Amino acid sequence: MNLLRHDLHTLTGAYAVDAIDGRERERFEHHLHRCQSCGQEVRGLQETATRLALAVARVPPPELKVAVLAGAARTRQHPPVTDTRPAAEPRVARRRRLAIGLGAVAAVLVVVLAVALVLQRRQLDNELAQQRAIAAVLAAPDARILTGPTSVGGTASVVVAGRLHKLVFTSAGMPVLASTKVYQLWLIGPSGATSAGLLPEASQGRTAPVLASGLVPGDEVGVTVEPAGGTRQPTTKPVVLIKVAS
Amino acid sequence: MPGPDVSDAGGDGTGRDLDRLLAQVARGDQGAFEAVYDRLAGPVFGLICKVVRDPAQSEEVAQEVLLEVWRSASRFDPAKSGATTWVMMIAHRRAVDRVRSATAEVQRDKKSAVAAVTPDIDEVAEAVEANLDRERVRRCLGTLTEIQREALTLAYYGGYTYREVARLLNVALGTIKTRIRDGLIRMRDCIGVSW
Repeated sequence: MNLLRHDLHTLTGAYAVDAIDGRERERFEHHLHRCQSCGQEVRGLQETATRLALAVARVPPPELKVAVLAGAARTRQHPPVTDTRPAAEPRVARRRRLAIGLGAVAAVLVVVLAVALVLQRRQLDNELAQQRAIAAVLAAPDARILTGPTSVGGTASVVVAGRLHKLVFTSAGMPVLASTKVYQLWLIGPSGATSAGLLPEASQGRTAPVLASGLVPGDEVGVTVEPAGGTRQPTTKPVVLIKVAS
Repeated sequence: MPGPDVSDAGGDGTGRDLDRLLAQVARGDQGAFEAVYDRLAGPVFGLICKVVRDPAQSEEVAQEVLLEVWRSASRFDPAKSGATTWVMMIAHRRAVDRVRSATAEVQRDKKSAVAAVTPDIDEVAEAVEANLDRERVRRCLGTLTEIQREALTLAYYGGYTYREVARLLNVALGTIKTRIRDGLIRMRDCIGVSW
């Protein structure tokens, strides 16, 4: 049932005596946040309802007092509410943001788990600082995950933290190269390519995460096959290019 | 003028006294809690009996409510309601929750429902004391139209939703909404609730 505003206002009485339930009650409470005159009226009617309650007072059985006081003695009290967020924030916006937040967190968690697995399997000698930097990228509020197939098989994945100008690269299923060759990671912008390091040897098909810094909007992330030790500039056509939208 | 103790639901000295007591309760003061109990256990128990009817269940609900007052005292905000009203709202809500969750058990028919919730002279005998509120409320209820009085008492003392009240009284939903509101407004003005 779609309630008109006028109908909502006439619910002040029913609300004051708990005669509305469920969604209708929620809707009215929502309305109450924005309608000052309704709030005033509800308060006066609630105080009136209290008089109706006082009029039917009865002496409670003495054992009630014993039970209540004993119960209080062993019951922990709620702390005061200290939340100072602005109360006027619309509920819908909050929910949407929460949904987006959860989505991003879920996506990042998948990567974190995959990365953790890789880290574990590889018995990496990476320094703790490197791992912390990777964790910071994964936990960045604007972290996004981008993936793309490579021309040689397998998938490349990038977690981009634009505001940190960093990314973390991992891959799965790319073929193992001869010992004379390596996969090299590049940040490719309008002014050319910058090496972002060599991919470590894959373990069970996965490469451990590689952290790259200096990312700018519009960059593409590319991987080429290069002679062992790497090169200053790409010498082959990238097997994968992932556009990092700004 | 409001009488002493529980008679005061408004904002005069006794109400502020309760505000202070609740603030002490929030800090874990069991002595203050006993003082709150002594003032409000009667109205809490009476209201719950009115709604729930069954004495054993009423006692159970009253115990829950009073413990909730202990637990949540820090959440009481004197800017939003009087202390007595804050407690009576918790009591009414809990009582209503109890009867609504049990609705499937007993189908209450209109006749017994109306008879059960209409305050009458006999109840003065059940009184803690013949307090001013009882007398004033009884008199003011008498100034309402029959449908206002029935709608209001079924909703508040009977614990029915306004939709159920509409069904019980065979009146349109919109009419019941406005009758409950009009009835309460008339009570407010008749009793002289200052808020």
